[in-house]
Amino acid sequence: MRSNMKCEEVRETLPDLAAGLMEPSDGMREHLQACALCGAQLQEFRQTMALLDEWEAPEPSPYFDTRLQARLRQEKAVEAARGHGWLAWLPRPALAMAAALAVAAGVAVWQHHASGTVAENGARVMRGVVQTPSAERGTAVSDLQTLDKDNDLYADFDVLDDIDSQQNSATATATN
Amino acid sequence: MTSDKSTIRPATGEGTTDASTRRTVPPSAEAQLSSPGRVGTGVSSIALHAGFGAGLEAPPGTVALGAVEADGDVEVMLRVKAGDEDAFGYLLQKYRRAMVHFMFRTTRTQAAAEDLAQEVFLRVYRSRQSYEASAKFTTWLYRIATNLAINHARDTKNERPENTVSVDAKNEETGQSFDLADGALTAEQHLVRRERLMAIRAKVLGLPEKQRTAVLMHKYQGLDYKQIAEVLKLSESATKSLLFRAYETLREQLKEFV
Repeated sequence: MRSNMKCEEVRETLPDLAAGLMEPSDGMREHLQACALCGAQLQEFRQTMALLDEWEAPEPSPYFDTRLQARLRQEKAVEAARGHGWLAWLPRPALAMAAALAVAAGVAVWQHHASGTVAENGARVMRGVVQTPSAERGTAVSDLQTLDKDNDLYADFDVLDDIDSQQNSATATATN
Repeated sequence: MTSDKSTIRPATGEGTTDASTRRTVPPSAEAQLSSPGRVGTGVSSIALHAGFGAGLEAPPGTVALGAVEADGDVEVMLRVKAGDEDAFGYLLQKYRRAMVHFMFRTTRTQAAAEDLAQEVFLRVYRSRQSYEASAKFTTWLYRIATNLAINHARDTKNERPENTVSVDAKNEETGQSFDLADGALTAEQHLVRRERLMAIRAKVLGLPEKQRTAVLMHKYQGLDYKQIAEVLKLSESATKSLLFRAYETLREQLKEFV
C-alpha cells in the first residue's frame, strides 16, 4: 500500500528528516512506512548523517579574539588616516571627483585673479597713473625718499621765513 | 556610541553550536531561544560579553541594547552601521565560533580557518556603512564567508592534497588535532577512526563547489533551505535538489564506513 504522497515529495525532505531538522508530517510518516524504497533511503541517510557528525571542529583558539582585536585596531587606524569622518558618507569616486573639482575651481579663480591684475596694471600704465611703490622702511631707498620729503619741508620753511622777514622789514619802514 | 541602548542579555551564549548536535526544537522553545544549532535567528534577548577588548569594550556589566525581536541581528547590524561598536562586539561574540567552524571545514588548518574567520568580521566591519537590511544578517554573513572560503579553496587548490593531510597534526597553539581523539579508543580503533575521518573530510571537500558549500551550511551550520538558497543565489527547490544530490553522493561514497 502506498500513501497519497509521491516519492519525489518525500525524498526532497530526506536530508532534513535524516538530520533531525524536521518532524515528518502524518502524510510523510504514512508514506515512509508504506514505501520500502523511501523508508530504506531515509535509514541510509540517517547513517550518513551520523557518520558526518564525527567530523568535529575545534573551538576558536585563545588567541582568536586577541588577533581579531589587533586587526580591528589596525582597520580603524587605516580608516582614521583615510579621513573617515564627515566625508565618510561620500563614496570614494564621488570624493575624488569633488576633490578634483575643488582643485580645478581653485586654479580657475587664481588664473582669473591673475589675469585681472595684469589687465588692471596695463590700464594704469596707459593712464599714466602708475605710482612709485613705496619702499620698505629702513632701506636706503626709503631713507632717500624721506630726505626728499624733508627737503621739501625745509624749502617750505624757507618760504615762510622769507615772508616773515619781508613783513618785518615793511613794518619797520612804515614806522620810520 | 548610541545612547538609547537597553540591556543585552544572555540567550544562548555564543550564537551557534555545531549543527551536528542539533535536533528539532518545538515551536514554543524556538520562540524564546535559538535552537542549539541555529545561528541565532530567534533570540528574544541577547548578551554581550563585557570588556571585549580595546575599542570594543563594553561598560562593566551588561550593555543596554534592548529586547531584540526574531531577526534582531538586522537591528544590531543597523546599530553597527550607526557607529555602535558594542553592537559589533555582540555580533562578533555571537558568530565567532560558527565562522571558525565553517572555515575549519573548508581549509586545512585551524590557523587558516581562524585567519579567514577574522577576515569575515573585518569585511563586515568595513562594509557596515553600505549594509542594507534587505536580508537576514546570517544570509549576508554567510555570503561573505562563502565567497572567502571559495576563493581560498581555489587559491590553495594545488596545495590541498586531501589524502595527505595529517589528522594527527596538532595545532601549535591549542594542542587540538584534526581528529579530536577519544582517549577511550584502542590503537586499532583509533586508526580506523582516523581513516574514517579522512574519508569523510575528503568526500565532503571533493563535492562540487556549490554542493560542498550547501552541505557545510546545512549539515554543520544549521542553515535552512531558504537561507542556503539566498546565500547561494538559487531557488529553494534548486537548493533542495542540490542538497539531495550531495547527500546521495556522500551516502554512496561513504557507505563502506557505515
